[in-house]
Amino acid sequence: MSGPWVEKYRPQKLEDIVGQKQIITRLEKYIGEGSMPNLMFTGPAGVGKTTTALALAKSILGEYWRNNFLELNASDARGIDTVRNDIKSFCRLKPVGAPFRIIFLDEVDNMTKDAQHALRREMEMYTKTASFILSCNYSSKIIDPIQSRCAIFRFAPIKGEEIKERLQFICESEGFEADDKGLETIVYFAEGDMRKALNVLQAAASEGEAITEESVYEVVSKAKPQDIANMINKALMGDFLGARTLLRETMVLQGTSGEDMVTQIYQEVSKRVVEGKMEPDFYIDLINSIADCDFRIREGANPRIQLEALLTKFI
Amino acid sequence: MLWTDKYRPQTLDEVVGNNKEKKIILDWVDNWKKGNPQQPLLLVGPPGIGKTTLALVIAKEFSEYIELNASDKRSQDVIKNTIGESSSTRSLFGDEYKLIIMDEVDGIHGTNDRGGVRAIGEIIKNSKHPMILIANDFYSKRLQSIKPKCTVIKMAKVRSPSIRKALKEIAAKEEIKANPKALDLISKKSNGDMRSAINTLQALADKDEVLEPRDVENLRTKDDRSDIFNAITGVLKSKNPQHVRDALRVDEDPTLVMEYIAENIPREYTNKDEIKKAYENIAKADLYFGRAQSSRNYGYWRYASDFMGIGVSSSKKETYKKFTKIQTPTIFTLMGRNRGKRNLRDGIAEKMSKKMHISHSIAISMFPYLEIMFKNDELAWEISDFLELEDNEIKRFRSKKIPKKVINKMEKQKAQMRVEERDRRFEELQNQMMAEAQEVVEEEVKEEELPFEIPGIEDELPEEETVEEEVVDEEVKEEEKEEKPKKKTDKQVSLFSF
Repeated sequence: MSGPWVEKYRPQKLEDIVGQKQIITRLEKYIGEGSMPNLMFTGPAGVGKTTTALALAKSILGEYWRNNFLELNASDARGIDTVRNDIKSFCRLKPVGAPFRIIFLDEVDNMTKDAQHALRREMEMYTKTASFILSCNYSSKIIDPIQSRCAIFRFAPIKGEEIKERLQFICESEGFEADDKGLETIVYFAEGDMRKALNVLQAAASEGEAITEESVYEVVSKAKPQDIANMINKALMGDFLGARTLLRETMVLQGTSGEDMVTQIYQEVSKRVVEGKMEPDFYIDLINSIADCDFRIREGANPRIQLEALLTKFI
Repeated sequence: MLWTDKYRPQTLDEVVGNNKEKKIILDWVDNWKKGNPQQPLLLVGPPGIGKTTLALVIAKEFSEYIELNASDKRSQDVIKNTIGESSSTRSLFGDEYKLIIMDEVDGIHGTNDRGGVRAIGEIIKNSKHPMILIANDFYSKRLQSIKPKCTVIKMAKVRSPSIRKALKEIAAKEEIKANPKALDLISKKSNGDMRSAINTLQALADKDEVLEPRDVENLRTKDDRSDIFNAITGVLKSKNPQHVRDALRVDEDPTLVMEYIAENIPREYTNKDEIKKAYENIAKADLYFGRAQSSRNYGYWRYASDFMGIGVSSSKKETYKKFTKIQTPTIFTLMGRNRGKRNLRDGIAEKMSKKMHISHSIAISMFPYLEIMFKNDELAWEISDFLELEDNEIKRFRSKKIPKKVINKMEKQKAQMRVEERDRRFEELQNQMMAEAQEVVEEEVKEEELPFEIPGIEDELPEEETVEEEVVDEEVKEEEKEEKPKKKTDKQVSLFSF
């Protein structure tokens, strides 16, 4: 009765966090101390960076954690000035009922270099009253001065076994059936991403039947925009303009991110080569282009332009 | 569709201005038709006054025409191969003349188009067909040898009242409401360039709003720098690096220019390998714009500019001999048309981001799963309730409304759960307090063995209690407030009765 399971089953205590045992053991040492170094959590999506930050804050700050905890999403469309102002007005006050205050900044790797330098100054300014927890997907996109001011924790993708255990636990709590094969299929698609695993699980469960391999496949294929396959077909037939229009519509209307588009294109072509519908030589040429495109997008190029260029490789 | 194309004059009468010159041209056409060969026409004048339009109108008077656009690599061979042959051989059917149109003759560049001017001279000499040459700059060195062999027609800028009249007609046909003063301002700012005036009108026009002078005021007066459309034409229609560089010297955001070039590559280029090559150059340009942005090293722009300019222009084997309209990037219209949808999407993402500690992009990546979950009425209600979604936001995930029956049932269930939760918490709190009271008492007993410290303890005790009171206020619902004093006395009794 509380909406999305990703939120309902978010572990509240450090010891409940799935996977990342070594990291948790180290972090637990900060509880009860009068101060904590700045931390940086890096790792792919859905492996528990935010959950760990929230749980750690609750353990350290205790009852009044809400008053002493500031959560900011650095990647969303607000400027560094807003972020800085929020940090400033938050840090100006002394911690109440807690040893210090904690600022959690999500997706720092999407901040520009300038914004990161500004952030670095904020981090230096309030060392006495506040500690920062930064999270990012790629620490390589964080400027060195910030990295050197943080204790860096690398979060690995969650092991399949551990995801499966968690899924089983949820199935039991929610009281519905799931067969082994079904759960394993979810684990396979999740690729170590707990958020994705729970989303697939809840979507599959929402159909009211027991969770099986088929029901999971159905969810996964439904959740994947059909447009990607159409777009690739159009491009392969030489209709570049048509394919480009589909690409733009998918990105603008559905808001699919560049990274997601790359992943879906990759999955689609790799399915085709495995099923024998695409020549391995051609496939490898495409992979070369897809990998290039992926790298460039993460480096900060315009995803749509890069994907349009990628589409020309299909014609 | 570009209005400059849609409303391009179809007859000589419709061409605005230059009446004397039109008369000469008419005579020229008549003479050809009577089988009376004439010198080629050389139309000279600033851009946007209707030179190409005139040529195209004349072309209708002949059975066929060949158009060679500017900025090709006009080596002697190219010109001879494309024009030379057709200019010296007459059509099989006797009197059928082919009109040869050569645009931007003064764009021929010295070193790269070695012999280009000479070749044109030869063609003029040998040609048995009517020929129209078009150029911008009357005093260009490249025209010096050509001018004596042609009938030169100098065309003037279009007067601003004529431009205003044309704008008014277009506005009426397009059902655009415009303040006459705004149109007047556009026609004056266009500096005699009809094409730029019409493009400006199209760019500013909005079906639902009246065009006012203030919309026009911050427009730059059109100067001699080429506008964005010319820049794109330069890149796509030329293979001459110098010409491409010149064309790209526009006062526009370079990434916007890149969008325009990218948009029009597959419209102009039809060869697949050329599209691939050209787009790869666009991707590289984009990469360097990105690198410039993130490193704040705008020196990288020059590489980006070369990739999208010379890189794209040299991706074609030869220039295409056709008219292709330069189109505004459809991505802009797509984004504009769907602003409402995008705002809705971002609104939902913002709510999810607040409630679920995720960024907008992760929130949006969850939409497909939500669409599946929302097929289930009860789950749809649950999630909407959790995220506090409005009706129109729910509609993003399911077309049908959540049935009233389900809503009522779920709301009742929620109220029930709230009561249970409250009772549970209350019990918890009570137990906790009892335990704490016990602790304090035990402590007190221990401390009593050292009587001199008792005053200190008494100081502490009330403090501890106030803290507890705060917690109680926060966590216990208002209805329970009445019960609180009783509890407190209970505790106080237990505290001091020892």
